[in-house]
Amino acid sequence: MIQGTLKFIAAAVIACALQAPAFAQTNCVELKTTGEVEKEVVNDKGEKTRALVPAAESKVIPGTEVIWTVTARNVCKVPSDKVVITNPVPEHMTLVPGSVFGAGADVSYSLDGKTFAPAGKLTVTENGATRAARAEEYRHIRWEFKNPIPAGSSAFGRFRATLN
Amino acid sequence: MSRSSRLLVAAGMLFLSGAWSNQARAVGVAAGTNIDNTAQVTYSVGAVSATATSNTTSVTVAEILDAVVTLQTPSVPVVPGALQQEMVYRLTNAGNGPETFQLQMTSTLGGDDFDPTAAVPSIYFDSDGSGDLSAGDVPYSPGNNDPVLAADAFVTVLVVNDIPAGVVDGNRGFSRLTATSRTGSGAPGTTFAGQGASGTDAVVGTTGGDGEATGQYLVASIALNAVKSQAVVDQFGGSRPIPGARINYTIVVSATGSGAAASSVFSDAIPANTTYVPGTLQLNSLALSDATDADAGDFSTTPAARVRVQLGNLTQASGSQTIQFAVTIN
Repeated sequence: MIQGTLKFIAAAVIACALQAPAFAQTNCVELKTTGEVEKEVVNDKGEKTRALVPAAESKVIPGTEVIWTVTARNVCKVPSDKVVITNPVPEHMTLVPGSVFGAGADVSYSLDGKTFAPAGKLTVTENGATRAARAEEYRHIRWEFKNPIPAGSSAFGRFRATLN
Repeated sequence: MSRSSRLLVAAGMLFLSGAWSNQARAVGVAAGTNIDNTAQVTYSVGAVSATATSNTTSVTVAEILDAVVTLQTPSVPVVPGALQQEMVYRLTNAGNGPETFQLQMTSTLGGDDFDPTAAVPSIYFDSDGSGDLSAGDVPYSPGNNDPVLAADAFVTVLVVNDIPAGVVDGNRGFSRLTATSRTGSGAPGTTFAGQGASGTDAVVGTTGGDGEATGQYLVASIALNAVKSQAVVDQFGGSRPIPGARINYTIVVSATGSGAAASSVFSDAIPANTTYVPGTLQLNSLALSDATDADAGDFSTTPAARVRVQLGNLTQASGSQTIQFAVTIN
């Protein structure tokens, strides 16, 4: 019985692999980005409180901090493994140091989108001298999730960036 | 006063310059710019690797309304009864989008000794870039030629007042220029929906969407005037300003008013593309050596070529001081 089940799974994986690659690309993990701005709002009780409102509906001006969230949702009935999200810091924006968050993920950064390294390991050459890159200089963020995303679940990465 | 000549009163050195040091603030990303964010994911399902791209989240940058007015003439020396005395201001659009500003001048301010009388008109644009009121300067007409400035751009504005006759030495009179964003002003953060550049929202910035600066007229005990004239003599006996021709400059300095202008120094830059003719510096027809020595004049090439004459203490009774020197056109 056990053996039979294993065979069945193996057959399913093979069947999956035989499908056109587009099947896996477009169907298992859906990725969504949202941009939000922290705003002071007055709640039902007349109290001032802070809330996140969609950045697109807000007045984003130079100096405004936008909270970007990237959510990967596994819509397949099998786990998705080795999930890696890469998000460039949007053009005209600067990463807020220490603002990158991602539960269960190793976070690395890149200046050029090619070489990724953990915080503090990137270097830049300036006037012939090499120094550690500052967090504000990071242009790409990568979250490598250590565990598979189970079927129907999601994982997310988040960072803040300031409009230049 | 001639633009290229400059009188220096007392020990301090002062040079006339068209470039002021006030720098506008950086304004940030232009209003209307779209900020896009798109992420990518790679993953494996079993043995199959796949990639996916997210939706693109787009945010449009709203317009900030910020105006900065800076005074370019810290203190304007005037004599009692003087007419059409100008203060020079600079209005900078410190926002991130093109904006129209309204200007207002106020001369009835507290804390000073007299109220300057607004000339009619009282606000001009320094249209010819001379840094002072001249014939080509266009008067400001509210609602008709409000300055329209691109982000970070500036305009030089002249505020013009007459000085009452009854003021005395040492009196100060204040005058203020206020510029207000036409889209709106108010508490920082105030929003004008859809009224910003490219249909974005406009948000009042840290300046409140307006700016102001206050200058002062100081009734001076004495005023110095310099009038500069020139005569061109070319090497063929004519007066064409061609390479090799000589320009003889004559500057007449006179003092009016009461008291003395202590340790007055005349300094004049050698014009670009010309060369000073050695040994031509004169004061009241008396030759002065080019070296820095016992006589009143000297010529120096550092930091820039210039002639200088120490005029000493000048009073109205001193009469006109005539300075001459010559250059050749390169």
